[in-house]
Amino acid sequence: MTISWVQASILGIFASLSSMPGMAGSTIGNYTLGRPLVGGLVCGLVLGDLKTGIAAGVAMQLVYIALVTPGGTVSADLRAVSYIGIPLAMVAIHAQGLSATSGNAADLAKSMGTLVGTVGTVLFYGTATMNLVWQHIGWRAVEKGQFKKLYLVDWGLPWISHFFFSFIPTLFMTHFGSSAVTALKTALPMDGIPMKTLFTVGALLPCVGIAILLKQIVDSPLDFIPFFVGFTFAASLGLNLVSVTVVSLIFAMISYKLDMAISTNRQVASPVSNTSMIADDEEDEDI
Amino acid sequence: MDNLEKKKISRKTLNKSFHYWFYGHLTAFSQEHMQTFGYLTSMLPIVEELYDNKEDQEKAMKTYTAFFNTEPQLGTVIVGVTASLEEARANHGNVDDTTINGLRAGLMGPIAGIGDSLVVGTLIPVILGIALGMSDGGSPLGAIFYIIVWNLLGYFGMRFAYFKGYELGDKAVGILVGAQGKAIRKAIATVGGMVVGGVAATWVTVKTSFKLTNSSGKAYLVLQDKLDSVYPGLLTALFIVLCWWLMAKKNISPIRVMLILVVIALIGVLVGFFNPGLSY
Repeated sequence: MTISWVQASILGIFASLSSMPGMAGSTIGNYTLGRPLVGGLVCGLVLGDLKTGIAAGVAMQLVYIALVTPGGTVSADLRAVSYIGIPLAMVAIHAQGLSATSGNAADLAKSMGTLVGTVGTVLFYGTATMNLVWQHIGWRAVEKGQFKKLYLVDWGLPWISHFFFSFIPTLFMTHFGSSAVTALKTALPMDGIPMKTLFTVGALLPCVGIAILLKQIVDSPLDFIPFFVGFTFAASLGLNLVSVTVVSLIFAMISYKLDMAISTNRQVASPVSNTSMIADDEEDEDI
Repeated sequence: MDNLEKKKISRKTLNKSFHYWFYGHLTAFSQEHMQTFGYLTSMLPIVEELYDNKEDQEKAMKTYTAFFNTEPQLGTVIVGVTASLEEARANHGNVDDTTINGLRAGLMGPIAGIGDSLVVGTLIPVILGIALGMSDGGSPLGAIFYIIVWNLLGYFGMRFAYFKGYELGDKAVGILVGAQGKAIRKAIATVGGMVVGGVAATWVTVKTSFKLTNSSGKAYLVLQDKLDSVYPGLLTALFIVLCWWLMAKKNISPIRVMLILVVIALIGVLVGFFNPGLSY
């Protein structure tokens, strides 16, 4: 499996649209096109193998299920995971002759994607740094009262940053990376320690993604209970996720009613209640 | 002052302002000024409509040159609130830029915290979790489901936040960070916790291949089977709790935790605890 220049360019455009300083609004860009699940669909269509694309995307989505970027700090930017990692993982899955939907293919995809994910960090900071130039132009315009120029600064010029830090890297890494990945097959035998480790790491990596989510939800050990209830429903009782969600709604409703009842009681007891409440999880770690 | 001269931002301009924010909140992102330019751009149509002379426009726009950064989805409410404050300032001038900026600065932290945990930490993973199941076996259904559901929720949610913020003005703050807001967040966190547990059990499988065999080669202890009879998915759960403990309690960064997993995998493979069972 090879990736042509045309295919690589299309992937480059999607990488530009989906990165964190998003070029399509973060709802469409970062949070839709940037999710590996959607990236898998796009890569599958572009490379002409929908099944492998989706399977690789599903596998990688688990590792990055909770990419939160508080205060604009990132340790991985999904443009690289979704539009460099998934295509290369697809090439690797083909090169190794694995069945697209097998667990081994998924584990390989996770390892490869995470490897490339760190490249995204460099691209993120590159884009943000280059944007300083456009902001500089913006400040001068604001000082002179030329507000119309803001549209160019906010919507037009950042495309240049994305050309250098999203389009170009994706173009070259997917085009040339595919032959490198294919060559890897001969260098590393499947039953050797490196490949075995790579696949095992792939199986372990989603634990990090889930743990990052838990970090947001769990403040005290008691907060682990909903997690383990959900886990038990799915693992022991075999419920699917829609069913788990439906069951969870009743607990959510009880929790809400209880809290509202408690707070109403409190207000009756002490009319001068302090209603200000600030979320204490601003400092959430990202992945 | 008579009511006839009261300035009101037109629906059209509010829509424009919202869409400018929707598209441009992060486009010109830099580490120095983050979302400031997105904010400036989305306030521009409002300022242009409220003030006729250039000098007033410049004075108003200066307010929004201050640093701004929050969670952009939920943060839309702040843009709506400032639109209504700007309208109040244009009408009777008893709102000054210190008030507007104080409110903006005071809100962006809490809203970022709430938004990160609710939108990015709960809502998106819940939709993704359901979508992952639909995409099992390489079907595009899940991805399409996610695209449609999230974008509808994202777009209309942000739109709602913008106009609610505009409608309520600074009163919107009290609702978001008040007792009801807290109860809603806690309820949603319960859904989030259970779904995350479901996602973990369904999609993450850590299995050991460790077994003890007797002299004739027959296995008399298959560790995975024993573990499954205790609690299905026990190893998976243990690894997740380990990762959580390393990050939450030991403050180790996700990248380092991943490296630790590489080491664990290597050792596990060497001692025969892990074996993905591959061959050509």
